[in-house]
Parts: sequence; C-alpha cells; structure tokens
Amino acid sequence: MNQTPANSARAVRRLFQDPALVTSVVILWVLLGLFVLYPLIWLLLRTFTEGGTLTLANLLAILKDPNHRQSFWNSLLLAALVGVAGTALGFFFAFTAVRANLSKAWGTVLDAACLLPLISPPFTTAIAMIFSFGPRGLITYHLLGIKGFTVYGLGSTWFSETLTFFPIAYLTLKPILSGIDPNVEDMAFSLGSSRWRVFWTVTLPLTVPGLANAFLLLFAASLADFATPLILAGNQFPVLPTQAYLQITGLFDLKGGAVLSFVLLVPAMIVYLLQRYWVSRKSYVTITGKVGAQTMVKSVAPWARYPLLAVCLLMAGAILYFYLLLFYASVVMALGANHTWTLQHYRVIFTEGLKAIRDTLVIAGAGMPLGGLFGILVGYLVVKKEFPGRQTMEVVSMVNYSLPGTIVGIAYLMAFNDPPIVLTGTALVIVACYVFRYSPTGIRATVATLQQIDPSIEEASQSLGAGSGTTFRRITLPLILPAFFAGLGVVFIRSMTAISATIFLVSINWTLITVRILENITELSLGPAAAFSVLVVVIVFAVIALIGLALRRFRAAGAIEVTSILGG
Amino acid sequence: MSAVGIRVEHVSKQFSHRVKGLVYAVKDVSLTVQPGELLTLLGPSGCGKTTTLRMIAGFERPDAGRVFIGEQDVTDLMANQRNIGFVFQNYALFPHLTVFENVAYGLRVKGMAESEIRTAVHKVLQMVGLAGYDRQFPNQLSGGEQQRVALARATVIRPRVLLFDEPLSNLDAKLRVHMRRELQQLQKQLSITAVYVTHDQEEAMAISDRIVVMSQGAIAQEGTAESLYRQPASEFVAQFIGRTNLLTARVLSIEADGTELEVRGMRFRLSGQSPHAQPGRSVRLVVRPEVLGLDSPDCTTGFPGTVASRMFLGEKVEYHVRVGEDLVQVTSYNPRNVFAPGDAVTVTLPTDGIPLLPGGTT
Repeated sequence: MNQTPANSARAVRRLFQDPALVTSVVILWVLLGLFVLYPLIWLLLRTFTEGGTLTLANLLAILKDPNHRQSFWNSLLLAALVGVAGTALGFFFAFTAVRANLSKAWGTVLDAACLLPLISPPFTTAIAMIFSFGPRGLITYHLLGIKGFTVYGLGSTWFSETLTFFPIAYLTLKPILSGIDPNVEDMAFSLGSSRWRVFWTVTLPLTVPGLANAFLLLFAASLADFATPLILAGNQFPVLPTQAYLQITGLFDLKGGAVLSFVLLVPAMIVYLLQRYWVSRKSYVTITGKVGAQTMVKSVAPWARYPLLAVCLLMAGAILYFYLLLFYASVVMALGANHTWTLQHYRVIFTEGLKAIRDTLVIAGAGMPLGGLFGILVGYLVVKKEFPGRQTMEVVSMVNYSLPGTIVGIAYLMAFNDPPIVLTGTALVIVACYVFRYSPTGIRATVATLQQIDPSIEEASQSLGAGSGTTFRRITLPLILPAFFAGLGVVFIRSMTAISATIFLVSINWTLITVRILENITELSLGPAAAFSVLVVVIVFAVIALIGLALRRFRAAGAIEVTSILGG
Repeated sequence: MSAVGIRVEHVSKQFSHRVKGLVYAVKDVSLTVQPGELLTLLGPSGCGKTTTLRMIAGFERPDAGRVFIGEQDVTDLMANQRNIGFVFQNYALFPHLTVFENVAYGLRVKGMAESEIRTAVHKVLQMVGLAGYDRQFPNQLSGGEQQRVALARATVIRPRVLLFDEPLSNLDAKLRVHMRRELQQLQKQLSITAVYVTHDQEEAMAISDRIVVMSQGAIAQEGTAESLYRQPASEFVAQFIGRTNLLTARVLSIEADGTELEVRGMRFRLSGQSPHAQPGRSVRLVVRPEVLGLDSPDCTTGFPGTVASRMFLGEKVEYHVRVGEDLVQVTSYNPRNVFAPGDAVTVTLPTDGIPLLPGGTT
C-alpha cells in the first residue's frame, strides 16, 4: 500500500472509529517507548555525551585501550569460529536426519540431542567442561593423568559454544534440506550424476542461503554470549560482553560498560540486518504445500548412513555425557575429589538458595502470561489492523530480541537507575526485560499463524451474524492459541535460563537462579551450581511437557501448527 | 418467510491500485434481483462481479449508491446485521470446529436453544447429504463435502438471501456439474433469492434464472441465458457467452422482407431488419459455429475455403476452415459429408438467426 496523504488520513480516521484499537495501540507504544526505546536512547546518550555535549571522546578512550581492542577482535574471531563449526555440525546433523533414510526413532534421538542444549541454563556446558577438563577434570586429570592442563581459553570456549549453539543451525537447515524435492536429485541422477556429484552440484548449492543464514544466526549468538566466555575464556581471551560486565561490576565504571556495549552493538546490528533483510530472503526452496510424487531419497548410499549416524551419535553422546556429568556432580560430595553420594547440594539450594528459586519462579511466572499476551496482541494488531506506524511497531518490538543481552541489560541498568523512572531493584524491571526481550517469538508465531488464516474465514463468521468481538473470541483466538502457547513457553524458558541481560538487574530483593549458579561457580562451590542447573533443566522440561499437553488439548484437528516453540 | 428481492442502485467502489492509483472496481452499477430468483453475475476476472457481491453481503461498503434487501436499505449495515448466507470460493470453513459446530455457529450466535440447534443442524446436514458427519473436522473432508458443509452453514440460519462467490471453482469438472444441479434444486426448494458469481459461462447458463454479464466494472448486458446467446448486445458478450465467429459485412440495402449484405465480396440476404443496419454502413455478424454448414466446393451459395483442422468430439465435429485470411469455426452435428484437412469446401450461411452488431472496419 502506498502511503499517500489521503490514505494515511483515512487510516487515522478509521483508527479513531475503533476506541479499543486506539487504546491498545497507545498502550503498546507507551510500553515499547519505555522499555525498548528509552533505555537505548540512554545508552547512546551515555556513549556520545560528556557533560551535556556531544563527543566521541568516550568511544575513542575505550578504543585506545589495547585490551579493549583485543577483546573486540576476539569477539569477532570467536563468533566466526563458532559460526563455521556450528553451521558445519548443524548441517551434518540435519543432512543425516532428513537425507539418510533413518527410521523415525533415530530422527527423534537426533532431535532430542539438539533440544537439550537449547533449553539448558547458560553455564551447563561450561561447568561440564570444567568437570571434564579442568585442573581436577575427570578426563584430563583422572583418566589421562595430565597435570597442569588449562581448560581456559579460546579452544574450550569455541568448543563449548559450538555445542551450545549448533542446534540453531540444525533447526534452520533441517526444513531447508527436507524442503528440497527429492525429484530434483532424481533428475540429476537420471542425467548420469553420481551420488557424490549430486551432493556437490545439487543438494549443497540449494542449501547455500540456509547455510549463510545459519552462520549469521550462530555468529550473532556467539557474539552475544556472555555466560560461556565468562567461565571458560579466562584472562587470556577477553571478549566484549564479559569486558563490559567486568567494567561495570568490577570497576563500577558504568560509562565504560555502556561504551563497550555500544562497540558490541555495531557488529551485532550489522549481522542482524544482513540476516534479516538479505540472507533470509534468498531461498531457493519454495514451500508449496504440494508434495511431489513420493520418491525414496537416494542421495545417500545405504552404507554411508552408518558412518553419518555414528558421528551424530558420537556428538549426541558427548552432549548426553555432559548432562549426566552435571547430574552426577549434583549428587556426589565433590566431583573429582570425593565421589560419595549425597543430597547435600540439593539441601543447600532448597535452603539458602530457596529465595533465588522462588524469585525466579515468580518472575518467570509473571513474565510468561504478560509476554504471551504482549506477543499475540502485537502480532494481531500488526497483521489484522491498519493504523499509522504499524510496520514501525513490528520493527521496534523486535529490537530487544535482536540485541545482545549485555547491551539490553546495561541500557536498562542506566535508564532505570536514575530519575525520572527508577525501577532498579524491583522485580518489575527484570520481568519487563524478559517480556520485551523474549516475546518476539510469540509475535512471530502469531504473525505467521494469522497470515495463514484466510480473511474469508472471519468474513464467514461475520456473514453468519457474528460481530467483531464474537468473531475474535470464537474464531481468531482459538486459531492463534498455539502461537500464544509458543510465546508463553519461550518467555518462561528464557526467564529460567537467561543471564546476560538480567545479571545487571538483580538486587538483594530479587535474584535469579542463573545468577546464583554464576556466584557458586566463582566461589568454586560447583556442587550447588550443578544442582541448580539440574533443577532448571527439570523445571523447563516439565513446563515444555505441560505446554505440549495444553497444545494437544486446545489445538483442534484442523488448527494450524506452530512449527517449533523454540524456532528462532 | 416469503422471499425478498435485492436492489442495487448506482453503486460504485474504488480501490487503490499499486501502480494505477485509484481505480474503479465497480462503476455505477444498478441491478434488481426478483424474490426467489437466482441471478448470476458473470464475467472475466477483474470485471467487478465479486466486488458487487461483496457489497451486497456487506463485506465492502460502496463509495456511492445504495443497496436494498427487501425494502430495507442495508447500505450502512455491517454484514452481520444483514441476515445473509454467503458461500465462499474456498469454503472458509472454521478449521478448528467440527462439521456440527461449523453449521451450528450462526445459530449459536443468534442464541438459539441447544435442542433447537441440534434439530436444525441435523436437518440441514441430512438435506445436503452429510448426515453422520457431525464430528468430522473440515480437513478430513473431500472438496465436495466441504462445499456441502459451507452450503449447510449458510442456509441453516434461514437467511433472507443466499450469496455465492464462485462456489464450485475448486471442484473437479464432474463434481462441478453435479453440484450445480444440487445448488439449483436447493435454492428452488428453499425458494430463496440468490446471487451467484462465476466466470464460467456454461455454469451460469445451467443454473441461472437470469444472467448479468459484467465487464470492466459495469454491466455489459442482462437477460436470460437464451436471450444473451441469441441476441448479444456487444462483441464482448457475443464472444464471452458461447463461441462465435465475428464477420464484418457492408449493408447494401434494406427491404421490407430482409437486409441485403455484402460479405467478403459476396452478396448475401438476411431475413428481417436490425436497428444497427444502415445502408452503406458496415456491421458485424455474430455467426455461431453451429449455424454454419460445410458443403462440397461446387456449391455456389457460400464462401470457398480450405479445411485447416478437424477435431472429432463424438456427437459433433469441429472444423477450422480457412476463408481468405480468416479462420472460421464450424461445428457440425450429424454431418452428411465428412471433410479432411486440406479439402476444399464451401461454408454456407443460413438466412436467419444471425444477430447484427454495429461497427467494424471493412
């Protein structure tokens, strides 16, 4: 629609004929302004002003410090390495899952192996790495007898992040690979190509946009990752998010932290824009909903599927080993030193850690419905209603989601610490952070669902005598319910597992399990840290199961499916 | 409840087009549907037929003009206040509701008692041949069954008028022919006023009491199927309804018992007169393929030509005959002579039953 003045005047007039719409739009803009734009403006003001005047001095001062410059390049290097390795691993898993003619059961095993890292608290792999390869590591010290092995540094951070983030690549590439019509490969075979040649000349080239997309998503995830480098990178390999954190918590230099997080913002935004507006639109795979003639996938030789599967199972085994190790560490006195069974660590977390558990559940419990509602409301308005600034609203609602958590956290810390709006130390600021950072999944699910609902369905309801209220309640709402549950799930899971933003927002009054895990690790009480992690995994699994149940109950046979509640 | 009519008076509707700016989808259209009549809006895509229907339904508000259902001016009423039944091209069944709940939806909105709903829904499902399908979901049904559910859902609320937007276009050819008969029977059985939109002229001719042919947002001609076929008012209608050859002729003279014409250098007499025929002016002849005959080349009353192609279709044979630079379509039923491509033939014209249209270049 071209926005002629007459058109927008008409849009404004129509807006005011619908008081409910005006109210919702105004309220949403106030909230988005307060919790998305306002903190960001604070961050920019802090970075680019000094004593009320515009200046680049702050930025230059930070960039002059070789340590900071190093951490900038380190961040990029780590992100690139994780991007390459994670994409390769994700492609390997996805290829094996959809092209190797595996039985359904094996497919489920691969899916499960990839799900685990997605829903875990942030330190899980890092802790397991220390248990395995640390100074008293099960593998390095006990099994191999190596003394003085250092686990800290680029290598282990790279490995750990790859393991944590490769499922993103798997989820991105799997639908693309399964979307390639086997008939296209059959065509190449009929022209005389060998399997190897078909792979290199047909299958892989068709996946290239997907690979680029997966690489950028992983790059962004690694760039934003705070938890893993904090534990594993060590002093020798500083990266931006941790530097910004240390600048604030260690040196109490809020301004320095702000400037560092701005430095992080630049590559993050570039990658986000590339991913969203360039790569994700270049797809060769068109989903027509029409399945071509059923044909066996022949692109993998029967013998080749065993080595493929073996490598995948090896990786899955490594993931499983890490989680079992975590569990084991939570039920023995001190892993690596004293392997006596004990429930001591659980006693600790349920006594002195109880406040963190309660706080986290309260915050996640409050954030979940708010984030879910926010998600479907924004999604519904953006797709179904016409009002000025509609597209801008969609973009702004995605901002906090696309920024690294460290930036959002520091921006919130600065914005809500001083008048006019003081929220520091409240649960509200943490809930708001989660709602605006993690509801975009719900927004996107709602948008995708609504776009699949033909307008004639709502017109049919209208023609049968239903007003717009009844139509929304009886037709639209039930159809977008799956998206609502998806939104709920993601907000809850992230509220349980995230740390990068909220570590700046916790206080004596309100703390989080993830922050307690970090404290435990720095105090070297790894047992309670492991127990906390196990608890988080259990709670998250329980909630996912409940949501799955709710979805099955509420989703009638014909309703639209929401692909994956963790997609994106 | 006795049937009510529909009146559409001078309605116009504009849309903003991405490239062309504001364009008229419908421009100053007026039409009347008699109580109990099935009127079809027929035309190619983009002719404004669906927009007209949607304005009658209340999904679109006309920029100008009024819409009446019965004696009530409904122009300013929303669709849900008009008491209409609408059947969509894609059926628009509620995917999350069962067949029973889909059909019951409109009754529930009205707040009807549960026991009455049950009776009414079962009765209408019986009528459309879907008894026992209560608990199925739409995606478990075939296209034809979905169509019947849509029909049941629209009729169960006892609407004042039934509106159909290309309801059969998603069905396969055989089912389409079957369903259109059922639709027509149902409409007559309920004796309900109906407006039916289609681009399929054969479908329109099969079910309509009357047809309104639309083109470029305006009405091109209205009448019964037969009158449109026999007396098209324009070349557009002549070509859109049925197949036709358009031949240019010059009027030589007009006499009491006929019109003297010259076609392709041949004199030819057509019985009767036409308002379009003026001596010395050219006219266009609407010559249906089935009124033409083929004869051996030694026949003198006709146009000499050569058979270009021949297609055997069972009860008829379709020829394309090259006459000068034109290809003339000739349909032959029970032919006495059979010709093959390359044969020289004479195309013969009857002396009546050929409507004239104004214009054309000589």
